[in-house]
Amino acid sequence: MLKPPADWTERSHDLSRLLARAGLGDRAAFATLYERTSPHLLAVVLRINRDRAQAEDILQEVYVNVWRAASSFDAAQSQPLTWLTSIARNRAIDSLRRLQTQPQIRAAAPSSEGRDSEDDDVYDTVADESPGPLDLLSRAAEARSLAACMDKLSPSQRQSVALAFFQGLSHAEVARQMREPLGTVKSWVRRSLATLKTCLDAALQRGIERGD
Amino acid sequence: MDYSRIDLADALAADYVIGTMRGGARRRFESLLPAHPALREATLAWSERLMPLTAALAPVEPSGDVWRRISDRLDRRKSVVAGAWQRLSFWRGLTAFASVAAIALAGLLVNPRAVAPPIVVVLAATGAAASGATAAPIVASISGDGTTLVARPIAPVALRPDRSFELWAVPTQGAPRSLGVLPGGSGVVALRGKVLAGADTLAVTIEPAGGSPTGAPTGPIVYAGKFSL
Repeated sequence: MLKPPADWTERSHDLSRLLARAGLGDRAAFATLYERTSPHLLAVVLRINRDRAQAEDILQEVYVNVWRAASSFDAAQSQPLTWLTSIARNRAIDSLRRLQTQPQIRAAAPSSEGRDSEDDDVYDTVADESPGPLDLLSRAAEARSLAACMDKLSPSQRQSVALAFFQGLSHAEVARQMREPLGTVKSWVRRSLATLKTCLDAALQRGIERGD
Repeated sequence: MDYSRIDLADALAADYVIGTMRGGARRRFESLLPAHPALREATLAWSERLMPLTAALAPVEPSGDVWRRISDRLDRRKSVVAGAWQRLSFWRGLTAFASVAAIALAGLLVNPRAVAPPIVVVLAATGAAASGATAAPIVASISGDGTTLVARPIAPVALRPDRSFELWAVPTQGAPRSLGVLPGGSGVVALRGKVLAGADTLAVTIEPAGGSPTGAPTGPIVYAGKFSL
């Protein structure tokens, strides 16, 4: 289900408190933080790295890092969910780099030990039935009242942004997928972001006003 | 490159946050962040703009195994790294030795007009390295009605001008609560509401001038003492 746009900021109020307590070594608060945020962060990681087992390894790294860095989190500078999502995305993007230098080993069948069949069902759904990047971009735009803003982008610009952000593709990968020259794609993404910047700032402001 | 140029910082940050910046460029960018406020600000701003778009993703429940593995790793860390708050228990024990001093000092600090006697807490120096704190304890007196705390060091303490002592009430469970900064290790603190409720320890940490920027202790614990209301 799609969350209303103000939810990001609203959820952040509670999460700030949990993060502050985790920063002081409060494991119970950290467990609650994990419960509330891990399904979102796993979804974020899976968009970029589709391998369920690797995505869960990344998730583990993310939370160990969050635990270590929690005391340095500054609620005045960043919303907790933004901060957490950034850490998860960065880890996921870094995992792609490692992936390229490592031989790809994927078990043909899941090992029976330690993993239940439910995991694999979820993996299948995510891999096969998750909405496409363009779909997600338009949903996100709708949720944050950005529809008018999106209309300012050409379909190609929109697709390039969606592929980069929601699919975690590099410029070169976007260019390959869209069968367009690299330079064209780079300028599409750059110009799209410049166009969206003002609208996104306005959306953020609305969210903060509603959240308070 | 001049990373303080706003437009350049903005373009690089956008490239980084949306994720198209890869490989060496990405690592280089990350290594530049600590030293370049303009880059850092631009990155924070782009994160605040773009990350909320991920709210459109359907959540995916991780398998229970993930939390178990995280939990195990934190347990292992805990046994290796003895954090300041864990060392606290040792210092709590040590404060028993200081109780004689407490009794001697109580007479000096008692307000004769108070109906209920004040509670005197001796905060022993923890010996945290290079703190500027002396080995002599700080004595805190909580007024009988629980509204005021007076703190005084036994011997003068010196602290770098860009640092402040901050006094905390540490509950048995949950986060320490700031009672305020103590210039020169001494001060009078108004105890608002139930700020001491559930607390059994007073602790002093070294923070940036004016107190912790986060509302949570960030520096080493230099004095600690146990009490009960």
